[in-house]
Amino acid sequence: MSKASPEHGGDRKPGVIGTVWKLVTNNFIFRTVFRTGFPDTMLKRMAVMRSSFLMHILPTKVGVHGLKLYYTWCMGGITFFLFLLLTLTGVLLMFYYIPEEHRAYNDMKDLLYMVPYGRILRNMHRWGAHAMVFTVILHMARVFYTGSYKTPRQFNWVVGVLLLTITLLLSFTGYLLPWDQLGFWAVTVGTNMAGATPFIGFEGPFSELLGAQIDNDIRFAMIGGTRIGANALIRAYVWHCVGLPLIASGLILFHFYRVRKDGFSGPL
Amino acid sequence: MLSNKPDYPRVPSWPYFIWIVFLSIILITIVVWGVSFIVDAPLEEEAAWAVTPNPAKAPWYFIGLQELLVYFDPWIAGVVLPTQILVGLMLIPYVDVSPHAQGRYGWKDRKFAVSFFSFGLFLWFALIAVGQWFRGPSWEFYWPYFDYPLGGNVWTYPGVPLKMTTAMLGNMPNWLGAISIIVFFIGGMTLPLLFMRVSDSFKLAAIFKDYFKKLGIIRYCIIQIHVLLMLGVVGKVLLRLTFGYKYIFTTPWFHI
Repeated sequence: MSKASPEHGGDRKPGVIGTVWKLVTNNFIFRTVFRTGFPDTMLKRMAVMRSSFLMHILPTKVGVHGLKLYYTWCMGGITFFLFLLLTLTGVLLMFYYIPEEHRAYNDMKDLLYMVPYGRILRNMHRWGAHAMVFTVILHMARVFYTGSYKTPRQFNWVVGVLLLTITLLLSFTGYLLPWDQLGFWAVTVGTNMAGATPFIGFEGPFSELLGAQIDNDIRFAMIGGTRIGANALIRAYVWHCVGLPLIASGLILFHFYRVRKDGFSGPL
Repeated sequence: MLSNKPDYPRVPSWPYFIWIVFLSIILITIVVWGVSFIVDAPLEEEAAWAVTPNPAKAPWYFIGLQELLVYFDPWIAGVVLPTQILVGLMLIPYVDVSPHAQGRYGWKDRKFAVSFFSFGLFLWFALIAVGQWFRGPSWEFYWPYFDYPLGGNVWTYPGVPLKMTTAMLGNMPNWLGAISIIVFFIGGMTLPLLFMRVSDSFKLAAIFKDYFKKLGIIRYCIIQIHVLLMLGVVGKVLLRLTFGYKYIFTTPWFHI
């Protein structure tokens, strides 16, 4: 396409595509959106990276070694993309799902059998979530093995560990939402462990010192009751759809900002 | 750092970086969409408080911790250990302050760091694999993919105790347990330091002495405590599997 564009065309007569391309791009309305034009010179390549909203988080130039697939495994970027994919499919799922004890499971059945593309929407959200947990672990392993957490990136590694925790919590809170036996008992097992927290869990050591009972301890605060029920469902839902994504977004912004400020890690 | 120097080879992000991003996005979308098209996400019966599945398994990424519940009380397996793992991970950049071997896969310069981290990663996934594939009803050992006549999810023999192996378990005598723990931790902290003194005759001791000098006592202690904690987890697992010890040290308030 670019061959036929005026910059490249030379003395060749532009074909149909070239003419249409010129009509679409060579007017001031198009130029208000895409300001630099097709980035075919070094100057325009720099300009397009800096002026584009979507691309300005990337550097205008990158070191050759940081681009190699065996170096980054693309895992950080893939994790972020999965986060976006999960946000999109998650918002769509929210249209069809109501976190109410007696309704949630029926909404799942509706998603599977009534909602157009509901099944694949749910599948993508589920498998994407599993994939994200896995890629975030792989990303951490890669950063460790390449020594990329070393100075000056120490604190960004700490933020990365927090993001790993948030990812696990996001996945865990989502596990309860289908309100089926699988999620219900998995979350029961998981939250029962919180009841064993020393001092602040009713089954934990030294719980009597603070007077932790089944109806006032940390587990009670997490699930809003003495067992998983309607309160736990709405808490899981709000944390899953609002609280944790907001925290994750904030941390991701900071994570990326630090990567850009500190540059990609490179050999000494 | 080489990548900060002006003559370091760079290419414009457009198109060399953008096309990698673009292709990754397309590839991941296709993979997630393709898998979702072929494999349905699991959905079991509606949640019922009265129907407890056996076993009730945590999601795969937490199953390692659930597997540790066999060997530790919940306050250790579910609270202390995961917290310590996260704290330990966050401490890594502050104890490994050597600026060497950055921006490349360096095994030669950081054999210890890579081995320690890899062993932890291996342990995490090994526990997940055992819990996910080799644990069946009552969290006993089973081979994967065999259809056991127990009825899958539901325990069908109410007269039989759920945890048959617990009957055979005993506790280590408290004096032996206390000595084991003290010897393990005090010895583990000091032995490497004593080993340093023979650095004239052993090459490994000399390497360690050099390593210790760069670390300093505080960083050494933080690293060594985490090494011992991780080995301690493995040790407790082995003690239980070989000698049937449920606890190595019991108090009226908590058991280890």
